[in-house]
Amino acid sequence: MADSIEEIQKSKKTYLAVFGALLVGTVLTVLVAEAPGWLYWLDVGEHGFDKWDAIVGMLIAGTKASLVAVIFMHLNHEKKLIYWVFFGAIFFFACLAGLLALAKGSPIFDYLFYK
Amino acid sequence: MEIPYIFTPRKDTGLVNSKIAIWLFLASEVMLFGGFFSAYVYLRLGADYPWPERSLPVLPGLINTFVLIASSVTVVFAWAALKMRKWRQFQVYMAITVACAALFMVLKGIEYYLKFHHQAVRLHDYSIVEGHLGYEKEDGKLVLDRKGHPIEENMIRIKAEKISFSTKRYHAAWVEEMLAEASHHQAEINLEADITLVVEEGKPAIEIAKAGAPLSLELLNKIKDVHIAALAHNSQLRTVALREAWKTAHEANPGKKDRELSEGVGIDMEALKPSMLGEIPSVTFVVASPVELLFKPRDIKEGPSSSTLRDDTVITGKMEDSPMVFHYVDAIDFQWLVMKAEKKGIAAETAIENSWLMKNHDFVREAWEWHLKQTAKKQKALNDRYGFKKDGTPVRVLTEKELYRMGWKDLAEKGVDTKGVKISGFDKLKEEFMGPNYDARGNETFEELSVPRDQIRYASKFTPSWNNYYAIYFTITGLHGLHVIGGALVLLYYLLFGRKMYLSNPEWLANRVEVGGLFWHFVDLIWIFAFPIFYLM
Repeated sequence: MADSIEEIQKSKKTYLAVFGALLVGTVLTVLVAEAPGWLYWLDVGEHGFDKWDAIVGMLIAGTKASLVAVIFMHLNHEKKLIYWVFFGAIFFFACLAGLLALAKGSPIFDYLFYK
Repeated sequence: MEIPYIFTPRKDTGLVNSKIAIWLFLASEVMLFGGFFSAYVYLRLGADYPWPERSLPVLPGLINTFVLIASSVTVVFAWAALKMRKWRQFQVYMAITVACAALFMVLKGIEYYLKFHHQAVRLHDYSIVEGHLGYEKEDGKLVLDRKGHPIEENMIRIKAEKISFSTKRYHAAWVEEMLAEASHHQAEINLEADITLVVEEGKPAIEIAKAGAPLSLELLNKIKDVHIAALAHNSQLRTVALREAWKTAHEANPGKKDRELSEGVGIDMEALKPSMLGEIPSVTFVVASPVELLFKPRDIKEGPSSSTLRDDTVITGKMEDSPMVFHYVDAIDFQWLVMKAEKKGIAAETAIENSWLMKNHDFVREAWEWHLKQTAKKQKALNDRYGFKKDGTPVRVLTEKELYRMGWKDLAEKGVDTKGVKISGFDKLKEEFMGPNYDARGNETFEELSVPRDQIRYASKFTPSWNNYYAIYFTITGLHGLHVIGGALVLLYYLLFGRKMYLSNPEWLANRVEVGGLFWHFVDLIWIFAFPIFYLM
């Protein structure tokens, strides 16, 4: 934990850098989604929204979220117990998301199934 | 009681207790929001209708993202200020954080307000009209309801001849509304027939109310009381009689099971009749000179000759012409119609050509023809840029939304293109926040349209009931908004009442702010995902 005054002063610079990175990331997310004017080449995958837009959007969001968690929430130097608690939850969320992959191809996604 | 380890770390964990507590809480929050985000994915993958892609205004969402990120930085700066024992600096940063939270909620509030006042209607052929409803007018003036609010032109009008109330339940406010409406038209609502009922066992029937008695809540309550008392009494009689019958049956057939005996066990209703009290499940009133009553569509299930309110009141009378009138139409959406048609093997163009909107509203046809030209231009631009595949099909094609939906931006562009509608830069900026600017663009761009009641399949404001997208959008952003409010209140508490803690032990307040800050960062973290998911995908 950054406890001495010098270290805190130093980390304030990091916070500002992260702030800048988050702003850039946010603008980038919008640009990738909208691909306006000459930035048309930012439209990944097919024209309009498709899985590649989702993947890129979530990658940017994931990076931004990691920055917040690691720097602002001090996960870069935290006690082991906290890692267990938080990453435990993330792990279970990953399992939940994994169920989605298992469910792909299940009749629940075929609405004619209910007719 | 003193809470241990609030500013000195515990030896075994190396952490202050409050920090472990907040991380455990955040872990549970991960699962809470994780569950909702998974629900979103399921709903989207399993949607049997065109998912509304990118249907929210991006600019307010983008600004809100900036605001939350900025507040995340200021909260961590506030914590750093405490660590460096700079009280004044802490106050400033914390105040900015709370102000950011307030700004976030204001923008969110505007977004919600606009959704709650934006109407959509799905027609029987699955085409969708979106826009702003007009208000009832009389001699050019707005008609106000009893509470002084303007009445939307979306009311069901019934020339009421008879009204039958359920004597189990009736909504008092609606009864009062009917009475007010009737007295406004100098009409009387009177009891149709005498009500004479047995109210005491073994006694003759007595008169509860006379035919012609005027409708009032007191009268309804009186009849309701008699009915409920009779129901209770009679059901008690039946229960006792049935118990008796079972007892006799078991005594007559020892050792036999219930299911073997059930055929022969029953109550002799004739024998019970003399002790039964008079029930009156509904009571009918006659409207002396039929009067037009207005009902909100969600309150009534309308029919040509009789309609039922949500409280089971049956209104007998002819339904008058009760169209839903859009004062400004800001979107025409054929996506779902095309989806349904293609399932049946009908070409999109044929289906749209035969839709009710195209056949009945010239401006829709005109707009559609303009739209076709625009989409052709857009497709050509894509072809020029990306070329064609070997089989001659374009590498990139327009999305279904671009092809079959005319959103407000399309209609606005059409207004500029064909009618030369011009609006100021400020009005344009306002549109980026508030959506279509009806006042500035007027009916030249957003035309009027009236949908007859019998063409409506489903109508709703843009609330959770419109579709699953809005349901999950309001669930996640609403829950997130509550977190913003909760977090901001805690931070505000430290700002206003933290001085005492700071003076007794600055590290104590610093730890508190760190914990509050952790929660705040988490709120930011959720928004980092919510923003692209709801606004950009």
